[in-house]
Amino acid sequence: MEAESPLKVLIADDNKSDRMILSAIVKKMGHEVCEAADGLEAIDQFKTQFPDIILLDVIMPNMDGQEAALEIKALAGEDMIPIIFLTSLQDAHDLAKCLDSGGDDFLTKPYNKVILQAKINAFSRMRRMHHTLQRQRDVIRDNNEYMVHEQEVAKAVYDNVTHAGCLHLPNLKYLLSPFSVFNGDVLLAARKPSGSMHILLGDFTGHGLPAAIGAMPLAEIFYGMTAKGFSMEGILREINIKLKNILPIGYFCCVCMVNLNFRKEEIEVWMGGLPDFYLYRHDSKAIENVISTHLPLGVLSSQAFDGNTQKYSLRKNDKLYMWSDGIVESRNDFGDLFGEERLKDIFKNNQNDDQLFDEIIQTVNEFTGERGKDDDTTLLEVRMVDESEVGEVNIDLSSGMVTGPLDWNMCYTLRGDTLKTFNPMPLMLSILSDVPYLNGLSGQLYTLMAELFSNAFEHGVLSLNSSLKQDAQGFAEYYRQRENAIKELKYGQVSFEFDHKPLADGGKLVIKVTDSGSGFDYKSKQDKQFANQGYSGRGIPLILSICDNIEYLGDGNIVKVELSWVAD
Amino acid sequence: MPLSHLNTGQINELKELMEDAFEDLINTYLTDSDQKNQLLEEAIVGEDLPKIAEISHSLKGSSANICALPLSLVFKEIEDQARAETLANIADLFSQSQQEYQQVKTALKSLL
Repeated sequence: MEAESPLKVLIADDNKSDRMILSAIVKKMGHEVCEAADGLEAIDQFKTQFPDIILLDVIMPNMDGQEAALEIKALAGEDMIPIIFLTSLQDAHDLAKCLDSGGDDFLTKPYNKVILQAKINAFSRMRRMHHTLQRQRDVIRDNNEYMVHEQEVAKAVYDNVTHAGCLHLPNLKYLLSPFSVFNGDVLLAARKPSGSMHILLGDFTGHGLPAAIGAMPLAEIFYGMTAKGFSMEGILREINIKLKNILPIGYFCCVCMVNLNFRKEEIEVWMGGLPDFYLYRHDSKAIENVISTHLPLGVLSSQAFDGNTQKYSLRKNDKLYMWSDGIVESRNDFGDLFGEERLKDIFKNNQNDDQLFDEIIQTVNEFTGERGKDDDTTLLEVRMVDESEVGEVNIDLSSGMVTGPLDWNMCYTLRGDTLKTFNPMPLMLSILSDVPYLNGLSGQLYTLMAELFSNAFEHGVLSLNSSLKQDAQGFAEYYRQRENAIKELKYGQVSFEFDHKPLADGGKLVIKVTDSGSGFDYKSKQDKQFANQGYSGRGIPLILSICDNIEYLGDGNIVKVELSWVAD
Repeated sequence: MPLSHLNTGQINELKELMEDAFEDLINTYLTDSDQKNQLLEEAIVGEDLPKIAEISHSLKGSSANICALPLSLVFKEIEDQARAETLANIADLFSQSQQEYQQVKTALKSLL
């Protein structure tokens, strides 16, 4: 380190013999010398020779040393060019003036070799240190610029990914810090082909880029699979294994995912690692806690992962409040936690539940004062509404061919464990949506297929009676029975037969679903064109609103629906 | 002892430092000083105080560096008087400096 690299030393003195002596001393030290006889020459030499250190006589003709020093320091900018004044001045005032004009030190005549050497060495060290500092400063500045740029790109990509959703719909109110991507909070919402809505609130461990990275695949999987009609369990399982594979140990994502089913007025919830959510009952003004029953995503292996969900009925105008731990764990100036009691008080004291969302934000802001500023707070209010309020689903399932397959038949049978656990909806819809016109009907087709499949499986194979699903208690009972029936089921199968034929101005799709159940007495009712009621909740009015007609065959274990379409 | 006008220890050190360039240094100093002495005399005749101060300052410095301390001190006196704007003693001091310079010149030449 201390190895002295030769320096270039500029000697500016109007006295030639003085220059010769100085020059001899400096050269003896192994440095290179350039010379100037006055201030103007010194500046010229500085511009062309780039000396490392300057020895500058004070009193010189044309331009004196102090003037030259000022000019040289200005030219040098942020480079450190040590200037040592050569002087026989004795007056303290004059010496001080030398330093004021930008000199770094002075050397008195007659020159002392030892002192000059020591000074040159000292300034050489200082100069190297200055260079090191400058270099490190530049490296830090470059790194910082690079990091800021990366974060901007990451945020832009992240925004593109997350803004694909439907957070703008009128039944949702949310608060999400603009820097949420870097505090690890994620809020996603998307419609399923069935018309239901998937909502996901996630809170990654950590802050900054590590927290943001996991949000990308999470959002991709969420949107991609929701659009294809996958169930919550399937989506969560996929996200879990993805995060488990890509995140380092100790990084995971606390998640609450909700499926909001407008038609059934129920929600399905999976919650891992987040603080309790509240179900707010519009009529009774009561709140019910929804608690986390799972580990966060990205922790368990696929085998150990538990995708079981809980279902709750949610009547119109009932609300669900979801948050990251930012609210309950926010602190005021004294370091007190906001806590759950304060949160519950907001609900207790509320007069008009339209204001609840704003009241929560306001109360938290008042509590934290200047400290909080919403930076770490994510809050979401979900209201159950009639599906018409959130509008039709328009999902582009596949770009497909222009004409597509029009003349085909397919049979697809689910048996045994596959029947119990596998969701055939995405696959079947994907095949149907290859027919361009049917692609545009993906929402209705999903509803139709889901209804037909659940009729065949739940009412047919499992022989469940859906009249149970009248109230919240019945709901629970129905799902309890369903679970038992699935457990005890020894044999069962559901077959789908699809038949599509082209017509002169369009096409016709016939779907026949056959289940292994014992059927039901349909004959008397079929004659009355299924005038409502009594079909064990088989949703026939709904099916008829989509299809041209419905017909039961056999013992009632076979159903056939027809759907014709006319090209635009 | 002609060398008393020069500091013996210092001049030997300088000789060692300059090596082959020593002769060149002495000649340069002498040529330069001859010229400056003449300019100084002109300035004194013309009573140009700033010029007197400037030239004597330069001679003071170069004489000190060539190890001629007594000579340097006389030039310092002249410079001080000029800066104090008192002409009275300057002529005397100048002739004193010229005598001393001749001594220094002889001493330096004896070293070559």
